Amino acid sequence: MNKKELMNNKYFIAALFLLPALIFSLVYLIIPIPLSAYYSFFEWDGIGAMEFLGLDNWAELLSDPIFWSSMANNFKLVAISLVIQIPIALFLAVLLTRKIKGASFFKTIFFVPMLLSSIAVAFLWRYMYDPTFGLINGVLNLVGLEHLTQSWLGNPDIVFYSVAAPIQWRFIPLYMIIFMAAISNIPEQLYEAAEIDGANNWQMFFFVTLPMLRATVVNASVLIIVGSLKYFAMIFALTGGGPNHASELMATYLYSKSFTEMNMGYGSTISVALFLVALIVSVVFLRFSKKDVRN
Amino acid sequence: MVNRIKKLVIYLFLSIWLVITGYPLVFLVQNSFKVRLEFFRNPVWSLPANFTLQNYIEVMESGFYIYFINSIIVCFISVAIIIIVSALASYAISRIDFKFNKLVYILFLAGMMIPIHSTLIPIYKITLSMGLYDRLSALIGPYVAFSLPISVFILTGFINDIPYELEEAAIIDGASRFRIFKDIILPLVKPAISTVAIYNLTLLWNQFAYALVLTSSPGKRILTLGLFEFQGQHGINIPLTLTALFLSVLPLIVLYVFLQEHIIKGMTAGALKG
Amino acid sequence: MKKVLILSLTLLMVFSFVFAGSVMAQDEVTLTLWDIRTAADQATPAVKDAIERFEADNPNVTIEHVPTQNDNYKTKLRTAMSADNAPDLFMTWGSASLERYVDADKVYSLESNMTEDWENNFMLAALDLGRVDNEMYGVPVTNVSPALVWYRTDLFEEYDLEVPETYDELLNVVETFTENGITPFALANSNKWPGSMYFMYLVDRIGGPEALQNAISREGAFNDEAFIEAGRRIQELVEMGAFPDGVNGLDENAAQSRTLLYTDRAAMYLMGSWAYSSFKNEASDMVDQFSFFNFPEIESGAGDPSNLVGTPGDNYYSVSTQAPNKEAAVEFLKYLTDSQMGEQLIEIGNIPPFTGVGEKIEDPIMKKIYDASQNANHIQLWYDQTLPLELAQVHLNTTQALFGMEMTPEEAADQMEEAAQEYYSE
Repeated sequence: MNKKELMNNKYFIAALFLLPALIFSLVYLIIPIPLSAYYSFFEWDGIGAMEFLGLDNWAELLSDPIFWSSMANNFKLVAISLVIQIPIALFLAVLLTRKIKGASFFKTIFFVPMLLSSIAVAFLWRYMYDPTFGLINGVLNLVGLEHLTQSWLGNPDIVFYSVAAPIQWRFIPLYMIIFMAAISNIPEQLYEAAEIDGANNWQMFFFVTLPMLRATVVNASVLIIVGSLKYFAMIFALTGGGPNHASELMATYLYSKSFTEMNMGYGSTISVALFLVALIVSVVFLRFSKKDVRN
Repeated sequence: MVNRIKKLVIYLFLSIWLVITGYPLVFLVQNSFKVRLEFFRNPVWSLPANFTLQNYIEVMESGFYIYFINSIIVCFISVAIIIIVSALASYAISRIDFKFNKLVYILFLAGMMIPIHSTLIPIYKITLSMGLYDRLSALIGPYVAFSLPISVFILTGFINDIPYELEEAAIIDGASRFRIFKDIILPLVKPAISTVAIYNLTLLWNQFAYALVLTSSPGKRILTLGLFEFQGQHGINIPLTLTALFLSVLPLIVLYVFLQEHIIKGMTAGALKG
Repeated sequence: MKKVLILSLTLLMVFSFVFAGSVMAQDEVTLTLWDIRTAADQATPAVKDAIERFEADNPNVTIEHVPTQNDNYKTKLRTAMSADNAPDLFMTWGSASLERYVDADKVYSLESNMTEDWENNFMLAALDLGRVDNEMYGVPVTNVSPALVWYRTDLFEEYDLEVPETYDELLNVVETFTENGITPFALANSNKWPGSMYFMYLVDRIGGPEALQNAISREGAFNDEAFIEAGRRIQELVEMGAFPDGVNGLDENAAQSRTLLYTDRAAMYLMGSWAYSSFKNEASDMVDQFSFFNFPEIESGAGDPSNLVGTPGDNYYSVSTQAPNKEAAVEFLKYLTDSQMGEQLIEIGNIPPFTGVGEKIEDPIMKKIYDASQNANHIQLWYDQTLPLELAQVHLNTTQALFGMEMTPEEAADQMEEAAQEYYSE
């Protein structure tokens, strides 16, 4: 094949376009997964000799109540995030895309939670939740709602919701700017036509804005689902998954198994399980929300 | 009148949200002016009684600016590579029919599901064998790889949305694929690229696990690692840590304000679409 | 002729040795040292000083000091060890934390370098934790740290309270404080180990040191009466209101416990002796309002009230088997453990695990800590370092659950015993 033919061969061209991405992925993304799968068949502390266990780690995983409850927490986080982040982000995006004064100031400050590191955010929220000095209990006491004061991070029944709150807070801005961009992309004529038909603001939102944003909402949902299923940072910083695993997620559990307890074999088992769960859920979600991901 | 009330309600909502999102900055700033003694004695919500710049001086003297420069180098190079590499891949997935498009797309999607901590040891070994250990460049590989899936996800959706007619004329004229990519597609996806850039930049700026294991010498340290300097085995200098946190987020905020108009405008033309 | 040949050969060998030696001496050597001595760590200035002194005496050697914050340090070291890329010198907490690396052949045995002089430099109990299978692998450098009951002397005076000698007296103190709206004990237990201190002391006071020893040797069990009773007493304290609200959600690393002490909201604090340096750093104007007492005696129990829980040496420094220049590394360890280092540590409120430090301590509180540890009949090492990692985690988790009233003392003890049976049967 001469050069010209080669450059007309679409397989070759596709390969050229994909090559750089494939190299990075192969080295850093693809290798670790089979490796983790391999480790999951061993008893291994990460340092010493490896002892072949067969499927023991997997059997243990299936009967490990902490793994199941952490997976349940992950799904709870998915549900909470979808229900809270998307509507609030949409609402803010709609407000900010109206012609109002100071919009760019609001946009800047609204984006701050996304810019701060999880360490900073965890610091702030730890003091918000402090039962004695915290801002939340302080405000509740001030307005005469003493009975609602809580040990927000110490009570196993509510700790999960307490740590889920800053996660919502942090990621709303991301979806807000995504929705804002999508909204300003909607052709003005559609709104004009609706106005002529006598539609009010709510009707315009439900019959023009929302349908036009469908694809954007679906993709944002995928990002939320994947992000929530492998979430780690803020929960690790705030509670480490405790007390007594009440706020444990799959990723925090895999970290403490692998690095705190030095049970790399079992930690790898959890990470493969996490990978499979996240993959299945997102593929199923995409199947149901779009007939064809390509078109 | 109705319009006025409407406006008022809107501003009310916006102001509430302003407090909720803006307060952390106030919190960081007000506590960065306190000394340790005062921090522990008075509520963290109170204003500093004795204004001090001591924390800022100490943070600056701790080698913070080196970490700062390192962070900038690593993050900006990584983001530049991410943009090029993911744009190329997205174009192939979206426009060149090579039969495995869907499979490749799913593979990239799968890349989003990989938990970072299960890759630490494999990536550490790979980095060692490539001789990149304890170099800033060691971070670029994992940074790029972990940002690729989501970037490809965003860009593919966007390129799918571009009307094919724009390229048709060029193809008939016999333009090469690279030409089409460079002259037609790239200018059109600029908006989506800004989304990808700001998203990855904020995530990578706060990334921390890879730098912890892949670099060692203090001269190669990045900002997020430097933040832990003020934590000892049994104690922490909290005002100093908060000062460092504030100084580390400041450049991102400035950059965001600076780029904001451009980014939003950019994204106006190209939202995250499927 | 033959003689000449031998002579010249010998000369040649001697020359080459000398020559090689001098080349060695001129060779630039860099030793990498990993530990947790960040800017905020108490012992950092002392370690930095030792590095400077060593480098001044050995101009061809450079020490590259890489401090990493405590929790991150463990992840960093484990990852490096896993890939056989250990630093030349590194730090552990002795005993179980060191043993794992020794078992995997990552740690150079210091046995051949242990001259009598050097060995005599250390307190015996501290030295023990640096040994694995009777060989030295790590030398203790920092803090003899027993857990003690710190208290606010002014608050005790205000409510006319005596330092409690028995557990019943302690309960009276607790009651007085709760009646007056003061939290008796400052405790932040999301980190789990601070609450574990109460459990360890109660087990010791009830069952004596034998309770744990027997459970480990499997003559006894982790659900023996002493462990269950300790759990009961913790929950009795919880019900009396001895601890702050939401104790399992408070973070010791963010000093959420001590803040209560500094703001007159809490009166006592069961914590390692390092708390004293924390007071000095965080509340310098209040330091003389703090003192400590030993955990009180339980009259019906077997434990001696002089017994302490803690560690005879906090951080251990070791040389990696991969270090190309072990001689220089060992030489550096000597600087890290010499008398100048000892003085530096004392200055920052640290009691180094070296012999003869007793006379050098002037600060009355530090002197008192030193005496308490010298007079202790038995010093029980922290459970989370005595027990293998797997069991240590179960111990920490079940104890935290006791404080949260999420488990009965029996359930906690049974869970621990079940884990122990599984571990020791392997």
